[in-house]
Amino acid sequence: MSARAATLRETLGRLPGRDRWLIGGLIGAALAALLVAVALGAMTALIRAGAIDPSPDFGYRLMTGHGVVAFFYWLYFAQAAVLLAFATGGGAGRIALAPLAWLGGALMVAGLALAGYATIAGPPLLYDGAPEVVGDEPRAALPFYAGYLLLSAGLAGVAASAVATALAGKARTASAWSAVAFGTVAWAGLLLVSAVAAFNVFLPAAIWAAGWRAMPSNHTAGWHLLFHNMHYLPLMGSVVIWYAVMREVAGAASIVGPRFSKCMFALYLVLVPPTSLYHMFLEPDLPGTLRVAGSLLSLFIGVPTIAVFLIIVASLETHARTLGGRGLFGWLRVLPWREPALAAIGLASVNLALGGTFAFVLIQEQLAPLLSDTMFVPGYFHFLTVGTVTLTLFAALAGIIPAITRGAIRAPRALAGLPVLVSGGLLLFGAAGMLAGLSGMPRRVLDASYDGLAPESWERLSALLGLGGAVMAAGVAAHAALLLGSLLWPARAGAAPSPSRPATEHPPAGQQAWTGPVAVMLLYGAMFAATAFAFSVMRGLPLAGPGTH
Amino acid sequence: MSDRIPLTTRRGFITATSLGIVSLYGLWAGFGAAPLPWSTASREHAKPGRIPPGGGHAGHGAADAGLSAEEFRAATRDFVERYGLPDGSVQPARAMTPEGNSQTGHGAAHGHASMPAPQPAAPAEAIPAEAIDVYLMAYQWGFEPAVLRLDTGTAYRFRMMAVDANHGASLQMGDASRIIRLRRGTLVEQALTFTAPGEYLVYCTVYCGVAHERMLGRLIVT
Repeated sequence: MSARAATLRETLGRLPGRDRWLIGGLIGAALAALLVAVALGAMTALIRAGAIDPSPDFGYRLMTGHGVVAFFYWLYFAQAAVLLAFATGGGAGRIALAPLAWLGGALMVAGLALAGYATIAGPPLLYDGAPEVVGDEPRAALPFYAGYLLLSAGLAGVAASAVATALAGKARTASAWSAVAFGTVAWAGLLLVSAVAAFNVFLPAAIWAAGWRAMPSNHTAGWHLLFHNMHYLPLMGSVVIWYAVMREVAGAASIVGPRFSKCMFALYLVLVPPTSLYHMFLEPDLPGTLRVAGSLLSLFIGVPTIAVFLIIVASLETHARTLGGRGLFGWLRVLPWREPALAAIGLASVNLALGGTFAFVLIQEQLAPLLSDTMFVPGYFHFLTVGTVTLTLFAALAGIIPAITRGAIRAPRALAGLPVLVSGGLLLFGAAGMLAGLSGMPRRVLDASYDGLAPESWERLSALLGLGGAVMAAGVAAHAALLLGSLLWPARAGAAPSPSRPATEHPPAGQQAWTGPVAVMLLYGAMFAATAFAFSVMRGLPLAGPGTH
Repeated sequence: MSDRIPLTTRRGFITATSLGIVSLYGLWAGFGAAPLPWSTASREHAKPGRIPPGGGHAGHGAADAGLSAEEFRAATRDFVERYGLPDGSVQPARAMTPEGNSQTGHGAAHGHASMPAPQPAAPAEAIPAEAIDVYLMAYQWGFEPAVLRLDTGTAYRFRMMAVDANHGASLQMGDASRIIRLRRGTLVEQALTFTAPGEYLVYCTVYCGVAHERMLGRLIVT
């Protein structure tokens, strides 16, 4: 019998105190940022619903704060923490280039402080910070852009440290990287790309705001590139986390082995950068050939995510069947769903399917004029950013926090149940948002009544958006608060949770695993139906002319 | 238990199932929204300089006419003066020549000798020759003209520009909208023919400042 590989909990628990402090500090900053972002987001949704009625200036500051803090600081702080934690799982025994990682963390905190100041004192720019919206005093936007630059520099430092840590682990153990270790390095690589993309867009803007050069003319294109990398980055991180949770919590080993999984992770690096075109389908100067190429390329970005989903579900199913699970879905009952991490990624995978279904409607270039810039976009992407990525990061933190505090998570049963509340609110928010978007309700407005000229349905859907947003926010805030409480005041550690069956390098063979393929076929069916429906809505427009089909 | 690897856990099966997502392209092609290698349409679609069909209903694209924001302001002002009605709305029509013949709308709005005659560098293949020009200027925070009166069944060439910041000039038409993004200083053309009467909302869908949501106009189609 081969020796059991150390679990992540064990390797994290053996880290030097300063390394555990660093990871804990990043987690604390991430959760604090998330709590702020959630409060701002809930208020924004309630303004749209008409429940509160502040001045437009204040309302757009809330919207700016929500976008900046949720999309950048929560996700980046959390990814930085998980990245460092996972990188140490390769056997390095400590964080390599630790001073660089500490400096990176400090720069990210400084960036957050500047972002907060800029949101309160500067012009409300929303998270993309378009220079032409700044107004007559460009210098007022300098803290806003400088905050992003500090964040990016800090992120690069942490990512470099994570790569060095993974390399040190490989050198020390003289063994090949596991799939998770390889995925972590690829993830860090994309983080570095993202940091460079952020410099590309915000450095010219900062120089302009400082008065040293003319307004940048290509801010929008640079933003689209950054934004695209940004939202695929945590998605890639999510599938790496799923791999780790599958092994650490459920005790299931990959059914296909590490090499194939590594290929799938590497595909993200290949496919993510060139698929950014679909964000630009509405840009008036994008050539037609690029629109077609962008649509086609964007289809392929789904390939690694679906492959990893199939691998994980098949691995869990095979594992559960060897433990006595029966039936197409009956095996699911064997898995330890009371574990907060598994409960979170279980619902994350469902939310990914929902978000993915509608995301693939939007990648069709001819459907962009129906849906881009509407509430359809926040409607579907919250399934990804909140329902998938945030819940997955929660799952990772639920495993990392007790390891670095050498304590235990507080209220684990509540943590296992909260993803249901989050997903319930999300379902209402997402459905209302996508329906509103189908009829053209714009995103990024606080009041969509347009002097009574807007469709009556927009008011009702805005109310549902507010309700769903409030429920979702309550669930996320409660989850984040419990994790933060577990970090600051950990419960007494009991026996370390052990997987239902320890993972081995060689999973049991001979078991069919149909649940994944059936789920994927259902997903494809839903994508076809949603796309066909969108085409039918578009054809219902009272327009004719060249290009009409 | 057999040592043979079951179908559903084989790498080839997983790869093939994942690649199944690409089959969505077939649906797009079925709706005429994506080219197939053997179709003539595909070659047309990829033709350089073609103004692509936005949303499958009308021409859409940037017309690289070298028209500055100031020139566009002047063209819009001329358009409003020429076709303005006493109630402040604007009703573009085919201009009549001194001989009484109807003249197509292209360039009709800028017939003054002092006005530039902006034409796109790329030929607007998707826009019918008989289309009537409509000028729509987006600015912080409004549209000029704010109210347009148009006819059903008439082809219009919308010439649009955001003159100060990026804006949207989207059209809400009942159950759905046509989203149009404008980049500052870039002339955008769309060929639009309305098939049903109604009062449609023109609104900005690109955040342009704190009064963004106050940017609205009306299309009254009879």
